[in-house]
Amino acid sequence: MGRFLTRQLLLAIVVAVNVSLIGFAMLRLSGDLAQRIVGPEATAEQVETVRKSYGLDKPLVVQYVDWARDALHGDFGRSFFYNAQVSDLIAERLPVTMTLGLIGLALALLFAIPLGILAAVYAGSWLDRLALTGAVLGQAMPSFWIGLLLILLFGLQLGWLPVSGADDWQGYVMPSIVLGLYAAPALMRLTRSGMIDVLRSDYIRTARAKGLLPAEVVLKHGLRNALIPVVSIAAVQLGLLMGGSVVVESVFSIHGLGYLAWESISRADFPVVQSIVLTLAIMYVGLVFLSDVLNALLDPRLR
Amino acid sequence: MATVLDIRDLAVDIPVEAGTLHAVRGISFAIEKGRTFCIVGESGCGKSMTSLAIMDLLPKGAVRRASALSLNGRSLADLDNRAMADIRGAEMAMIFQEPMTSLNPSFTIGDQLTESLRRHRGTSRREAEARAVSILRMIGITAPESRMSQYPHQLSGGLRQRIMIAMAMMCDPSLIIADEPTTALDVTIQAQILRLLKSLQSEFGTALLLITHDLGIVSRMADDVAVMYAGEIVESGPVEQIFRDPQHPYTRGLIACLPNRERRQVGGRLASIPGTVPSLVGSFTGCAFRERCELAIEACAEPVTLRSLVPGHQVRCIRAGAPIEETAA
Repeated sequence: MGRFLTRQLLLAIVVAVNVSLIGFAMLRLSGDLAQRIVGPEATAEQVETVRKSYGLDKPLVVQYVDWARDALHGDFGRSFFYNAQVSDLIAERLPVTMTLGLIGLALALLFAIPLGILAAVYAGSWLDRLALTGAVLGQAMPSFWIGLLLILLFGLQLGWLPVSGADDWQGYVMPSIVLGLYAAPALMRLTRSGMIDVLRSDYIRTARAKGLLPAEVVLKHGLRNALIPVVSIAAVQLGLLMGGSVVVESVFSIHGLGYLAWESISRADFPVVQSIVLTLAIMYVGLVFLSDVLNALLDPRLR
Repeated sequence: MATVLDIRDLAVDIPVEAGTLHAVRGISFAIEKGRTFCIVGESGCGKSMTSLAIMDLLPKGAVRRASALSLNGRSLADLDNRAMADIRGAEMAMIFQEPMTSLNPSFTIGDQLTESLRRHRGTSRREAEARAVSILRMIGITAPESRMSQYPHQLSGGLRQRIMIAMAMMCDPSLIIADEPTTALDVTIQAQILRLLKSLQSEFGTALLLITHDLGIVSRMADDVAVMYAGEIVESGPVEQIFRDPQHPYTRGLIACLPNRERRQVGGRLASIPGTVPSLVGSFTGCAFRERCELAIEACAEPVTLRSLVPGHQVRCIRAGAPIEETAA
């Protein structure tokens, strides 16, 4: 177990460093940053001044090493737009996005796993077909559109929930549902197909031969093995929900990390963009690592 | 002797794309307490389906019919799923062919061993574990306490099959069905497993239904044997009788195929039965073996019943009992 986790942890660190490197390079290659910071009307001298003062005239490698050294010391620089440290901005926005992602994933799992199990146990029945049709519909409907529909119905028509912002728990309801709907179909189908495979296996027959009741056969002997792939994908989904919450956060005007990223990209606020990319990369590899740990707990052969 | 298992006219139909596959076509036999009954036949003859039908573990869609199916005098034919689950693992238990895949990879040996006792007797975890350890010790597993916390992938194939046997013994069933229990194992391990089954049986008086394709195992283990071919019993009787005086051409063919120390020549070929088994999809009349049989005559296309030549020895062949020399054609 220890060796397995050490290996996975080292791998995670390597991936995080590489993502930050690629993100850094792509940002520098996306155009002349100095020009974008000062704007199109600036004179050539102004551009050069900015280039010098932000260190953009140095070689790319030196720029990265400088940035990485500061980042390792907890200094992510200052935002060009907000009069604040980047780390403070992220610390303020990250909890909002994380809360949203976690509730969204929890909703998705709460819905997807029971439905996936039922669809697998009654494979081929009307229930199964209904679940599969629902999954296709869920995957086909874009998040922003569902978000707008929800706002129209519950926000404006019925007036039950706030149309924007996340100042109290009510503000989280609709965005979380939208995120949950985005993640649920894939998780449901994965639970279903995993469960169908598992239910065909010899050890399920053994469990039945022992006289165990159907619920115990499915929920104990089946589910534990069927969940192994679901856990991996759920962790990746959570990463996607957080990284991809830009759309949902802008539909519901929620000031989370996704919204900040979108703002900062359009304002060429590159210290912020750079740090958000790093934050998301670390979150992502952290989640993958967590899923490895969970898988090892579920499947003794991995330990 | 008390009859443990009594089966009459058991049939299993499986719906397939081309129609209905008659996997088992009306077989009858009984097993007494403490006896070993072997069903022998090639793959696809319906022997595994027979065992699954008794356990009510047939694949989805398969239909079981029987005019009688009883365990210890109690009819199993019309029990509902719940009542059947109460009997499975308690009064009758099953050992499967593949010890590698028949154990759940995610749970410890101890957990899987104690499950049936906890389910059927409501035994506490601690007591069930104590019984599991004592059974493991009895069947000669070293360091049984430490095995309890191991996972299946940490054990060898032979050890896993011993665990399966221990699992079957947990509730002290009156019938154990073993479906090709040694086929997936090394020859040396095979002998150990068979010896173990035999010794457990003599100690607890368990009736054993042993499904195999191996006549060597039959001669070593069986009290009585039924030879199955194409979903039917073609010959059955006490094992010495069948080996000494096989009547059905298929049984004779099987025995002739056995590698034999006296008959073997260096570089010689093993005997085989030419031809293949007929398709069991759709209706079928007459002797199923006639296409492969040297003795077949026109009358073999008529339905053939099982008949007794001597008491206890039954054969499904109209030509049985006739001297073979007559049929030169």
